[in-house]
Amino acid sequence: MDLQTKTENQAIVVTISGRLDAVTAPAYEKSIRELIDGGNSNFVIDFEQLDYISSAGLRALLLMAKLLKEKGGQVCFASVKGNVRSVFDMSGFTGLFRTENSVAEALAALG
Amino acid sequence: MIKIEHLSKRFGDLVVLKDITTEIKTGEVVSIIGPSGTGKSTLLRCLNRLEVPSGGSIQIDGVDILDRKTDAAKIRQKMNMVFQSFNLFAHLSVIENLTLAPIKLKGIGEEAARAKALELLRLVGLAEKADSYPDELSGGQQQRVAIARCLAMEPEIILFDEPTSALDPTMVREVLSVIRRLAREGMTMAIVTHEMDFARDVSNRVLYMDEGIIYEEGPPEQLFENPKKEKTRAFIDRVRSYTCRISSPDYDLYAMNAEIEAFCEKQILPKKTRYNLLLLVEELLQIYNPYLRTVVLEMTIAYSEKHERLELICESTGEAGNPLESPGLTDELGVMIIRNLTENIDYQWLGGKNRLQLLIKTNLP
Repeated sequence: MDLQTKTENQAIVVTISGRLDAVTAPAYEKSIRELIDGGNSNFVIDFEQLDYISSAGLRALLLMAKLLKEKGGQVCFASVKGNVRSVFDMSGFTGLFRTENSVAEALAALG
Repeated sequence: MIKIEHLSKRFGDLVVLKDITTEIKTGEVVSIIGPSGTGKSTLLRCLNRLEVPSGGSIQIDGVDILDRKTDAAKIRQKMNMVFQSFNLFAHLSVIENLTLAPIKLKGIGEEAARAKALELLRLVGLAEKADSYPDELSGGQQQRVAIARCLAMEPEIILFDEPTSALDPTMVREVLSVIRRLAREGMTMAIVTHEMDFARDVSNRVLYMDEGIIYEEGPPEQLFENPKKEKTRAFIDRVRSYTCRISSPDYDLYAMNAEIEAFCEKQILPKKTRYNLLLLVEELLQIYNPYLRTVVLEMTIAYSEKHERLELICESTGEAGNPLESPGLTDELGVMIIRNLTENIDYQWLGGKNRLQLLIKTNLP
């Protein structure tokens, strides 16, 4: 897994690539926690380059949502497609998070 | 007609046939099936005395063929063999291949031998190739000539050693149809074959050989529809499997994934199925993880080529209980994914182990 971050429209865009699984989820959680602790509260997670996600990855996303809620922040997912989309659908995640087709749309949705 | 008792054959330290006991009756067609290297061809070669058995006895019509006084050439006239690689004489024409042995060994006159050979070539549909040479024929045609040559000696029994395995798929049918015809005419035959549909159609009885013994035998409908033993079923259903043993919570997920992917690639499973299988394995490992300090888990992926059926079987030691219903699960996410990826999940406490059998959906969008 690789994480790239950039700031756009006062939000942090996190581009995640590779696998978000039992092995990589702890590293994802750590990075996100650091970003939130650093005062960031608006996030777009770009799934365009993510090939694989398991329930361990989904739990990391849930934890992120929980941390942001505590700080009054928000998150929007972008480009959830293919196999990752299937896992979102089968675990009921699709309706749980705000999801847009692209990073630009996600940024717009955050306002 | 043929009575085999406690037959064994070893090559040095390698025991190929452990203990074979069976009978083949006059007019019976017996197919011998089983994985490669389990002694099927060696059994036929022992019958024809191309190999000398290490122990046991073989009787043909009451004559002990392993007795040194028994004439091997006479046995081979009575019980002729068709080989995988045809074994035709390349320097002789088709008709010469057929007439050589009857003239030399049986003392039949040239004209009579030639007339009989032509009759046999007509039987296998190759009369027009009488003057051709083997290298002018296709593999299927060469094998039909080999069958005709075998019949020219008027054997009472024919042994077929994988008669179609050296042929292109397009030529298999022509050879099998000749053998089917012989079966209809009442020829006694023992056929080592990998052609399951053929074995099922043509045989009165099927022997499944494994581990150097006749592992299971029966009429084709019983052996193919309802085999009694697990190994026979796995062979009939063309089940390929991969098993890994996990005995620590610090297992290497990526090394396992690489092995599973290699297995899937070998079975030519679609990419989506591979993805779902890897996901299923990871979700199950997450559920088993808290117990892996004290429990040993064996995961077997089994793919039946015949039924295009993919299963994952988890066998674990420890206390009895379905791990998917464990009160220790932190949430339902993993179980939800597992249920979505599978058509059926069966839990049993079997032989002191928890056995979880999952039938994987292979048609997910």
